[in-house]
Amino acid sequence: MSNHRIMDHPVLGKLEKTEEITFIFDGKSYTGFKGDTVASALLAHGIRQLRVQEESGNPRGIYCNIGHCFECRVTINHVEGVRSCMTPIEHNMVVESGRLQPVPFKSTEADKLPRTYAEFERGLHKEDDPHV
Amino acid sequence: MDDLIICRCEEVSLADIKRTAHMYQCSAREVKLRTRAGMGYCGGRTCRPAVDAVLEEVTGEKPGNDIPLKVSPPVRPVSLSTLGGSERHE
Amino acid sequence: MYDVVIIGAGPAGLSAAIACREWDLHVLVLDEFPKPGGRLLGQLHQEPSGEWWNGIQETNLLLEKAQKYDTDIRCGVSAYHIEKLEHGYAIHTNQGSFETENLLLATGAAESAVPVPGWTLPGVMSIGAAQVMTNVHRVKVGQKGIVVGVNVLSAAIARELQLAGVELHSMALPASNPATVQHSNPNTVMDGLVRIAHLAPSAFLRFGSKFAKASWVRRLAVKFYPKGGVKMWGMPIHIRKAILSINGNDRVESVTMCRINADGEQIPGTEENITVDFVCIAGGLYPLTELAAVIGCPFRYMEELGGHVPIHSERMETPLKGVYVAGNITGIESAKVARAQGELAGLSIAADKLKAHADLQQHVEDAVKLVATTRADATIQFHPHITDGRHKMEQAFQQTKSS
Repeated sequence: MSNHRIMDHPVLGKLEKTEEITFIFDGKSYTGFKGDTVASALLAHGIRQLRVQEESGNPRGIYCNIGHCFECRVTINHVEGVRSCMTPIEHNMVVESGRLQPVPFKSTEADKLPRTYAEFERGLHKEDDPHV
Repeated sequence: MDDLIICRCEEVSLADIKRTAHMYQCSAREVKLRTRAGMGYCGGRTCRPAVDAVLEEVTGEKPGNDIPLKVSPPVRPVSLSTLGGSERHE
Repeated sequence: MYDVVIIGAGPAGLSAAIACREWDLHVLVLDEFPKPGGRLLGQLHQEPSGEWWNGIQETNLLLEKAQKYDTDIRCGVSAYHIEKLEHGYAIHTNQGSFETENLLLATGAAESAVPVPGWTLPGVMSIGAAQVMTNVHRVKVGQKGIVVGVNVLSAAIARELQLAGVELHSMALPASNPATVQHSNPNTVMDGLVRIAHLAPSAFLRFGSKFAKASWVRRLAVKFYPKGGVKMWGMPIHIRKAILSINGNDRVESVTMCRINADGEQIPGTEENITVDFVCIAGGLYPLTELAAVIGCPFRYMEELGGHVPIHSERMETPLKGVYVAGNITGIESAKVARAQGELAGLSIAADKLKAHADLQQHVEDAVKLVATTRADATIQFHPHITDGRHKMEQAFQQTKSS
């Protein structure tokens, strides 16, 4: 863990090691320091990917690290959508990465549908309209 | 460059925005509603300035004094149990 | 019922809380981050005097004072809605609802994104994310990275990464696309860079002295900008090179960089691949105003202040009764200005509540002056016309009040 930690800093000084905390991420056990967030503790272990975009499966990790973007959201102790950058680690916390979700039915013709009732009415009188 | 993602939450690309603006010749607001750019999980906090910049370029609309897409509560995702709770600190 | 609930425990919120507690108001401070301090926590730069501005120490000074006055500060609390009540406001949070007569919004700023192809890959983060990871959590964001976007904020944070022993290849512009217009033009970026030339005693001064302040000199400087970049603290700053894409399968593996002409257009055949394992995106800050929007504050769009800002007076009151603002929600400025604005807002709230205290009015007037002098003395000027923006805002407030 220490190779990703900034142990000595020329201005901020030595990193004061605090209590070690053990938590679980995707079934594996990791340790961090008290005061770490889930995001910082995982990054200290070199873990970047925290979830996938639910529809495309594209990987995501921390982006803003200050609670604005929700890109780092994970499931913590069975609660979904928790920001890992805003959540301090706790002993035996169970963290699970975000997975691909089934995609609801999507209309592939959405662009061709009428936008307003007026458009819908105009569409009714088109001769090639299959719905007439 | 057109497959560049502008809105990360909903994975809306520059091409999606351009195509929608071109097809419907509509306002910046309508482009957002149609593509869902800036309307995902984060509520647009990440991409709002970028989406506005793209729409200014694509639709030619300059930013006005009102926030382009109305901000509605909740401004953070909230669980149903929180919403349903009646806990109140006086 | 609280006298005042303050949303945001950054420099503005904490200073306001202290001022209100000094006048014995019933105060509650809320912040969604696990620690108080806001963006101040991550700040670390050298002042022109040579002294270090250490955000953690500055935060601790504010916290000590707040504790002395027994201030109720609660972290990990996210406000998601504010409702108008008959005699005040209800603030709805993930930890229940709080009722208050007055409300101070000190929610700070969010970072503007600069979308570049591949920017959703793990390992790409905002420059502010890297700052918090480095200085607050003391975790290296990677072995070697690159900064996309050259501006006041990114130059300062790039130096912080370097101080912590995190290697940066260079800083460069994002490739030009409709979402990066402001950030991808070398001339616009150069104009911005000259404003930070005075920032740190050694490196920035040398950088600035290379480009005098006359605009024709800047145009020439852009035209003849060295191919190897101009080095600041040994790190190349490129304003004639842009990042075309960020590459990798499940995480950042490299970036593709190319040369650009003085108008920001790509010079074909100059592409090169650079191995990095992280990328910082730097698009600057904009005021985070969503809570002001949900309670119906009127807004003004002002480029000088960084975007849409709730209308407010120079004593930090909005046209809505009992709603005040302070810090970056009112426009992008330094933490010192935010701190002065917070104190002013706190005093204004106390003065409006305790009308009998005549000397409070004098304190408010002094605090208004302190904000102006702090602004004039600021080392970092985020926008050159900030003072004009502030004047326009005061006019907007007077107009709103009289209409």
